[in-house]
Amino acid sequence: MRHLQHSMIAACLIWLMPAGVSAQQPSAAGRVKLVSGAASIVRAGQVIAAQPGQAVFESDSLRTGTDGRIGVTLADDTRVSVGPGSEVRLDSFAYAPENGRVGLALQFIRGVAIYVSGQIAKLAPDAVRLETPAATLGVRGTTLAVRVSE
Amino acid sequence: MTMARALPLLLLSATVMTACGAARTAPAPQARPLARSTGQDLVVLLPDPGSGMVGRAMVSSGGATVTLAAARDATTVSGAQPPGAVTTLGEDDVERLFGGALASMPLPPRHFTLYFNFESEELTAQSRALVREVLQAVKERPAPDVAVVGHTDTTGTRTANVALGLRRANTVRTILVDTGVDTSAIAVTSHGEAQLLVPTRDNVYEARNRRVDIAVR
Repeated sequence: MRHLQHSMIAACLIWLMPAGVSAQQPSAAGRVKLVSGAASIVRAGQVIAAQPGQAVFESDSLRTGTDGRIGVTLADDTRVSVGPGSEVRLDSFAYAPENGRVGLALQFIRGVAIYVSGQIAKLAPDAVRLETPAATLGVRGTTLAVRVSE
Repeated sequence: MTMARALPLLLLSATVMTACGAARTAPAPQARPLARSTGQDLVVLLPDPGSGMVGRAMVSSGGATVTLAAARDATTVSGAQPPGAVTTLGEDDVERLFGGALASMPLPPRHFTLYFNFESEELTAQSRALVREVLQAVKERPAPDVAVVGHTDTTGTRTANVALGLRRANTVRTILVDTGVDTSAIAVTSHGEAQLLVPTRDNVYEARNRRVDIAVR
């Protein structure tokens, strides 16, 4: 019986799979690849110590201490690396090109960070929105380094 | 400021922004030295890691836009002021200012396409040889993500092709797992005949559409 239940759950999962990027469940926007020193993900007010392999979701902030660094790769190949004493927020992320839904918004809050564009910037450059406290940045397939001084 | 006085200003800034957006050219900003003082945002255009290609970036603030178009072009922005004049930083400046962030940049994702024999889940000989490169890419990356997406040509029904695409993707998944890739790192999906690499009408044999796309991130 137990085996049957597992099989049924597995069958349901397999049935869901062909849907690809499933809209129902919040899928990860990307994953932490590199961490050194004090680095965390801030999710809904909770500060979580960052680890390689950790999923990153829309609305997460990447925050580092004075000796911290963190590097993230998003599902559309966009890469973001954050230097010491810094914070960058992934305001929004959508990558479902088969449904025509793509978008990326990053907010550089403080410190230093680097953005390397991915597929979203290729498919729809205007769907990429990068913001610093003072400026809005538009990109045409590119790499940007940003420093926000306090 | 009264509304009567504010309106032309608003219109002007809207016009300037529209013009900048359309032409992607910069209105002459006031020349300012690249200050190192606090309270400023510094934006620097870098060559793309790996390819060395230089893209373009538009920095907008205070109703004005400047375009960064060459390697290490930089501008500063403070408050609601227009961006400062574009200057070009040296490589040592970039290293000094951004070394900490550059050091934690993940490796670029890699993409592979494997092809299949007609109506089969069997890789072509050429694609079998490519599997080793996929594995190499997975091993090089810390905390790798492997997205495996199956595709078919338009022969057969749409539903059957989703299933076939999934079988092909699972074939690739099995090969990767057998050679040591962690199961949890692999996500398998199928688009069936919905995303043709080579557009065709229905019921057309097309070898290039019988494929599995792999992204290693």
